[in-house]
Amino acid sequence: MSSAIDKLMGLAAAEYRFDYSAAELREAQVAALDERFHERKYRIKLLGHRAREAGTAEIRRREDMVPLLFPHTVYKSYQESFLTEERWDRLGKWLGTVSPYPISPVETSGISDIDDWIERLRANGHYVSCSSGTTGKSAMLPASERDMDWSRTDTVNVFSWGSGVRPARDRRMMGLAPTAAVPKNLVIGAAQQAAFCDPAKERFRLPVPPITVGSLTKMIVLRKKIADGTALPGELAEYERTAKERQEALDQAMIASAEALVRYRDEKLFIGGLWNALYQVAKIVRGMGYSAKDFHPDNCIYVGGGLKRAQLPPDYKEFVHQTFNIPASRDFQNYSMQELNSGMPKCQRGGRYHVPPWLVPFILDEEGQTLLPHEAGEVEGRAAFYDLSLDGRWGGIITGDKISLDLGPCACGSKGASVRDNIVRYADLLAGDDKIGCAGTVDAYVRGLS
Amino acid sequence: MLGNPVLGNPVLGNPVLGNPVLGNIVSAPFFLRGELAEGRDAVHRSRDLGVAFATPGIDLDRAVHPRNQLPPLLNVPLAEIIDFLVETGRRLRDPGNPFVRECVDRMALTHVLPRAVLEEQTRSAAAYLDRRLLRTVVEQNFPDPRALDEWVPRQDFTGRKSFVRAFAPRLIHVLPGNSPGVAVKSIAQGAMVKAVNLFKMSSSDPFTTVAVLRTMAGIDPGHAIVRSMSAVYWRGGDAAVERALYRPQYFDKIVAWGGGDAIGNVIRYLGPGFELVSFDPKTSISMVGREAVLSDEALDLAAGLAAADVMVLNQEACVASRFIFVEADQEQADRFCERLHARIAEKAAASGDARPLGMDLREQVEMLVMLDDEFRVWGKTDGKGLVIRSAEPVDFHPVNKTANVVRVDSLDDAIRYVNVATQTVGFYPHQRMPDYRDRLASCGAQRIVRLGEAGPSTIGNPHDAMYPLHRFVHWMAHEDGAGPAAGALLGDTV
Repeated sequence: MSSAIDKLMGLAAAEYRFDYSAAELREAQVAALDERFHERKYRIKLLGHRAREAGTAEIRRREDMVPLLFPHTVYKSYQESFLTEERWDRLGKWLGTVSPYPISPVETSGISDIDDWIERLRANGHYVSCSSGTTGKSAMLPASERDMDWSRTDTVNVFSWGSGVRPARDRRMMGLAPTAAVPKNLVIGAAQQAAFCDPAKERFRLPVPPITVGSLTKMIVLRKKIADGTALPGELAEYERTAKERQEALDQAMIASAEALVRYRDEKLFIGGLWNALYQVAKIVRGMGYSAKDFHPDNCIYVGGGLKRAQLPPDYKEFVHQTFNIPASRDFQNYSMQELNSGMPKCQRGGRYHVPPWLVPFILDEEGQTLLPHEAGEVEGRAAFYDLSLDGRWGGIITGDKISLDLGPCACGSKGASVRDNIVRYADLLAGDDKIGCAGTVDAYVRGLS
Repeated sequence: MLGNPVLGNPVLGNPVLGNPVLGNIVSAPFFLRGELAEGRDAVHRSRDLGVAFATPGIDLDRAVHPRNQLPPLLNVPLAEIIDFLVETGRRLRDPGNPFVRECVDRMALTHVLPRAVLEEQTRSAAAYLDRRLLRTVVEQNFPDPRALDEWVPRQDFTGRKSFVRAFAPRLIHVLPGNSPGVAVKSIAQGAMVKAVNLFKMSSSDPFTTVAVLRTMAGIDPGHAIVRSMSAVYWRGGDAAVERALYRPQYFDKIVAWGGGDAIGNVIRYLGPGFELVSFDPKTSISMVGREAVLSDEALDLAAGLAAADVMVLNQEACVASRFIFVEADQEQADRFCERLHARIAEKAAASGDARPLGMDLREQVEMLVMLDDEFRVWGKTDGKGLVIRSAEPVDFHPVNKTANVVRVDSLDDAIRYVNVATQTVGFYPHQRMPDYRDRLASCGAQRIVRLGEAGPSTIGNPHDAMYPLHRFVHWMAHEDGAGPAAGALLGDTV
């Protein structure tokens, strides 16, 4: 049976996929949302609850979907003590409320840490990724094998469309990102390597131990102990010492990366990383006396994530591009997030992020409760999406981002919806706000772990 | 003159839409050492309701009192200051007071609490301006209150003589926005220590302080008390203002409420001569002993008292209870929860305040509903009262009429959840309080009260583990030489 979902997702590799106007897609998208809703309402416990609360029986208009979109914080809604006290059965039960596939109780005896637990879930077909939030809770996002398959294809399609780089397997991969070793990141890295890189050329990896979910949660556990008043000073000193060692190892790895880049400077490179690391490495490369003229003129660069609050000079992008001789036409940027399965690549001519047909965008009010009227032109508000490609969790997400979505055609010629390059997080806009009261929590008494 | 230009200000979206004064941004005037400053040089945004308000730019020079000029209140007798404050209180309670009426009108636009609650708060805030109360506060804070009015002579056992004065300080008060009572209280306290005061108002209430000061100017516009007071708004953390003002050359102490960013910004400027007096952000809790579940009557009583503590200022205040530890088995705890919820819901309905819970909190609570073998929830996330029962405290901060009942086998087990952020502990039955008060203090708590009495406190008692007025003043010693025997014992100076 050819469903609306199949129709929209079938456009995944179509070169013209960003050419469908919002009006052309509207009917199929609403039908697809309805299909997904019926398919999932009894399978995702939280969705069923939401639907009963809202009295939703079907999706006939996009508005009907709004009460069923999950705020991104849903994936942080587990009790922290499940994690800090290693109550894997509880964490599993929590995961079961947001997963459409039953999380059958895994054997919890002998689990030494969360990495172990995640590994056992993976063996059962559940791929749990974890956002690398350094303060507060990490989001835990379940996904399925189908999601992994989708990511493999989507990341190649997105990069190829946005950077103009063909998947010709003719590059050497230079991985400079100290990213979390979670399933989605690993799958994406491997897929890019397979598509764009020469199998004969060994992939360079940042020479540091992988950042696992376990290592991320250690900090959370310690923070909780400080707040509870049970952490002893010796433990904090030990933590600071390890953090310092880790930083030194990272600094060494940056130097090793710079040296590797210089070593392979004649080759056509696929450089991947986060802005902060890329900038640090570029500085070292410049310090070694190399710059654009020394590198291959057709290098390309894949950058994940935003600045993550790193403090960089305003021209950091140009500095990185100019160091590694990245042509202007290869400037790749992608709007996506851990919570979604699909990316929105930025076009070269219009400088806007393009929304694919299987990703249904919603612009809500700041509170994330009401769909803003939007029939044409550009509207600004809180971004929400329904990602039809998501299989291992509910596709409807209300993000923390403020975006401007335009339904009109882009300067690049694409007729589909696109997002202006001025995305900000509401949290950053409000940071430093001076709303103060006498009521507060122990969080104000925990000095930062750096 | 400093102030963000209207156009360049990073307001979010279109702050004016959907607000009762459509297209007409509400004005928040300043008050500078006795004079009203009006203007619309800068537009700011109140976070809670997303409303914009316009203020004049800050004339920084007028906000400070040069050190070569004595504080205006220095030689005004305390008794006269108290008279003035009492008259201020009378005028604040007067329904015809135009400044208060206008203030509540404006505040209702920027505040999370509904209008009726705000009116009542402003009226009850004036209750602080009572002669006996003010005198008691001073007497509890100072072993000898005469030190505020004069150089008090004393002599030590060696015969050495001196005079000591609680000298008028220069204070910045960083006010919270969650209670108009704090504005009135801060003005009174600042006046009684004869300080030169600069009040930094909060974005959720940039009005009350100015309304009170205008009421005072209505009594006598030239009075030293009025000339000692300034109230302005800037966005907390605005370095253009704070780098200029937060200096020991201008101020002795900064009296700040709250934590996180608000305090983080202030701490950067502390140093010798510029000291922080912090009213820390606090969480209050309740402890309900087994005695409460032994009979239906006791259960009703305890649930009612606990609900009263949860609902102080509709749970916006630091004294409002958020976690209730109940010494009971699960079935008994659930019966307590059911009654507690009913009583909270009654009070919530009576207050007319029905803001639904914020998105994050709603998600967390709904998740607990899903995990129904470990948690139980009474009520919904609609802001009409909510009780959550769990085996240990939930890891979010219960706000907006939400109580977390934590079942424990013994109240001894609840002690480990008391920490440096714990302020008030409401206790039932009160006979057991002496068994717990040392352990509670050792963990960081500051106040233990009978359940149901989180709100009231003995007049002049310590607040946040200190006597604040005692810390506000600039303790100055005038050494007046030694008697005949002094040098022999101790030498001249130490």
